[in-house]
Order: sequence, then C-alpha cells, then structure tokens
Amino acid sequence: MLASGLLDRLTGYVPFLFQGALVTLSLSTGAILIGFALGSLFLAVSEKYGQEGVRLTPMQNVAGFFVSVYVSFFRGTPLLVQLLMLFYLPAAFNINVPPFPAAIVAMGLNSAAFQCEILRAGLSAVSPGQLEAADAFGIPKKFIFRFIQLPQITRAVWPAVVSEAIDVLKSSAVVSVIAVTELTRTGRQIVAGNYRPLEVYISMGCIYLLMTGAIFLIGTWAGNRLTHRSNASSQIVQGLPGRLS
Amino acid sequence: MLLQRLLAGFLSICAISAAHSADLLDTVKQKKELTVGLEAAYAPFEFIENGKIVGFDQDLFNWIMETTAPEVKIKLLDLPFQGILPGLAAKRFDVVITALTITKERAEKFDFTLPVADATTALVKRKGEKSVINAADIAGKSVGVQAGAAQLKVLQAFSDKLVAEGKPAVKIREYVAYDEAYADLAAGRTDAVAQSLPNLSSLIKSRPDIYEIINQPIGPKTYFAWAGRKDTDSASLVKFLSAGIAKAGATGKLKELQMKWFGFDMSVPSDAVPAPAM
Repeated sequence: MLASGLLDRLTGYVPFLFQGALVTLSLSTGAILIGFALGSLFLAVSEKYGQEGVRLTPMQNVAGFFVSVYVSFFRGTPLLVQLLMLFYLPAAFNINVPPFPAAIVAMGLNSAAFQCEILRAGLSAVSPGQLEAADAFGIPKKFIFRFIQLPQITRAVWPAVVSEAIDVLKSSAVVSVIAVTELTRTGRQIVAGNYRPLEVYISMGCIYLLMTGAIFLIGTWAGNRLTHRSNASSQIVQGLPGRLS
Repeated sequence: MLLQRLLAGFLSICAISAAHSADLLDTVKQKKELTVGLEAAYAPFEFIENGKIVGFDQDLFNWIMETTAPEVKIKLLDLPFQGILPGLAAKRFDVVITALTITKERAEKFDFTLPVADATTALVKRKGEKSVINAADIAGKSVGVQAGAAQLKVLQAFSDKLVAEGKPAVKIREYVAYDEAYADLAAGRTDAVAQSLPNLSSLIKSRPDIYEIINQPIGPKTYFAWAGRKDTDSASLVKFLSAGIAKAGATGKLKELQMKWFGFDMSVPSDAVPAPAM
C-alpha cells in the first residue's frame, strides 16, 4: 500500500465524510436545543423551586407525575428503540414523517429527559437557606431566581450539559437505521464500495474526535466565562466577595 | 374505554382514506413521486460512488423509469439491510429496489418482480489460504455472512449437509453488513464469507490482492429481484416494474448492464417469477 495511493483515496472520500459530519452536527445541535428547551420546560412545570415546606399545587403534582413517567421512559429505553418507534409507528397510521425530522425529534425528546434531570440536580444544589435568607431581606422573587439561583445552577450543571452534548453527538451514530445518512452511515457506504474499512473508519473516528473536541473546548471556554460572570453577580447580591467561588 | 374508541375512530378514518384512493401505481403517477427503499452498501448492485448512489439496480431502475414514466421523481431512502423489508411492510417506502434473493419465506410476505440477476451463493477466502481449497473445506471453520440475508440460510443448509456427511458444522458468524464480514476475513478472524457470485466479482475486482473466490456454488440456484408489498394496492406497481425488467431483457439492456457491473452476463427467467428454491 503506497502512501501516495492512500492520500489519493483520502482526498477522494474525506469530503464526503465531512458532508456526513455536517448532517451529524446539525442533527446534534437541533437535538441539544430541543432537549434543553423541553427539559427546562418539564422542570419548570413539575418542580416548585423555593423554600422548604411549600406545598405543590394539584396541577404541579399531576405535571410532576407525567414528567417522571416521561423521564423514566426516555431514560429507560434505548435511543434506537425510540427512533424506530417514531419512524415506524406514524407510518402504520399513514402519517409519513421524513427521516431527518424524525431523527432530530427522537434525539431531542431523548435528550430532554436527561437534561431535565441534569437541571433538577442543579436546582437542588442551591440550599434552601439561601432562598429563605434572600426572602427575609425582601429581595423580590424574580431577582432571587435571576441573581441567586440561576448563577449557581448554571455553574453546577454546565459540565454535565457539555458532557450531555458530547453524548448526543456520539449517539447520533445510530440514526442511520432510519435512513439518515450521517457520518457513520457515510463511512459504511464508502467501505461498502472500496472495501477498505481500516482507513475509512480511522478517518471517521478522527472526525468524531474533532467534533467532540470542539464541543469540549467551546464548553470549557464558555464555562469559564459563565463562572466569572455569575461569581460577580452573586457577589453583588450577597455582598460577600468570593464566598461562593 | 375512551382510548379504544379514539383508536377505533382513528383507524376507521385511515380505512376510509385508503378505500377512496386509487391503487399505488396510480397514486405514484398522480403525485409524480416514488419512494424507494434500498441498502446502498451492496456493491455492485447499489453502493455509493463519489457521494451518489449508483449500481446495477439503479441503472436498470432508472432506465425503466425514464423509458416508461419519466415524469415521476424518485426519492431514495438508504438504510441498513435489516430495516429494508420491515420498512416496506410499514409503508415507509413504496417499493424496494435493492438486490433481494427470492426466498420462500419472503415470497410469502412480499411480491417479487421478475429476477434481475443470478444470486447463487459461493464462498470467498483469503488469497492463497491453503486450508480452504474446496467449498466443503469450511467444515468446522468460521464463515461470515450478513444477518437477515438469504446467504445465511444457504450457509446453514450447507453446514447441515456437511454434518450429515459426518463432518463438523460450520461456525457461522453473522454481521450487520458485508463490509464487516470481509474485514474480519481479511483480519483472519474468519476463514471464508458466503455471498452471491455477482457481489463477489465486485469484491475481487477491487481487492484482488486480498481475496480469492472458491468457484463452487454452495446452495441451490437463486435469483435477485426487487419487491413490493403483497396487497392489491401494490400489485400494479410490481407488475409495472416486472414489465420494465422484461423489456430490458428483450432489448438487451439487461445483458448490457450485467456486463457493465459484473463483468459477465447471466441468464435469468424472463417469463415469470421463478419459484423460490429455498
């Protein structure tokens, strides 16, 4: 195997791998955003944030029940099963969901369950004592959330959110089963034509690594900025420099 | 139950809409769109070259569509082989244009077109491998095959035959796609791969340095064809495709494409779908 031959082949198929990577990226971005929006919505309707001893309204109890069923389902079944259900079930009722939207929605619904729990953990990381204290000082409710809870939640959940984003990107490899030609499927198609699995799969792995590496770097950078900002804002409210850092 | 009533209502709406529509071929011509399911990882029948789905089936299918219904737009859905027939049954696509071996089991559930190529199974081994000379030498050895493929059944039957002759059974290894089976053969984890001769011819053309065909069929004579659903709705579409294949056979187009993609031509029955040999 000549090195020049390898280079020729690489220039032949790597552009197609990048096309597949673009599909992977747009799928994952969509799924993470849907997951975050839905996840925070589910948390907002099901969790009473605030002081201890506050009773949940009946509506919140019902919502909480549905959210916990939702979360158990989407965390408790494989993404592959959810994808197949979303792709084949509507078809049984003559509803044709195109593969790409089906994949984004399935991945988004799945990620929503995880992100809901990540955010819930972040919410419970803020001790009730702080909220009672803020309340005692007469700080308005919306400011309590904005300046006391939110900065701490953000800091607490950020690493987990970044790792969830990486997870979503990697798990997108399974969507090829419903006819979405993302990176993994593109690689397999190329192998089926040139019968050279090793070099194609190594290139494919490198592209995945590039993408997850980028998410990690951007995540760390944004995380650092967030921490600085939120430190500053909580210091303003609390008047205790550096106490939370 | 409310849920049951809702479901019943929903199904009856579906039934009404189905009853009112014309058959599938009419719908396709009316909508000017045909959705096709295929596994573009099966060279030389359908595979990706320079980012496009090409191959013997694609050439033949496009020729049929261009000569008989050029106004219909084709939508290709590429998915793993194990999802092809379930997807057809679930109406995710109108027809499957991918090399499907005609088998009894499949013919019971799906409607096959006229055959497009010979699908008789043979074996491929690592080049120069001395321990496997004849097909029967795979007794007791590991042989790779695609899960859900007809070649798997052929291999099982061949293994049973060897056992009946007092030889050890073949250790069958199933793979999601053939590229993995070839890779494991090259890596020495298996000793042979069972696959149809036309497919193997394409493999040998690309990698003559690594693989070598054992030119002995290990199963009965079988054929590749395309398939639609087995209902009155799909019947006319399958017939339409069969007529196109017959025309390609009569005009010499079929032979021309076989020469182009396999490097040799083969005779296939052109009057009726052959009874499955297995």
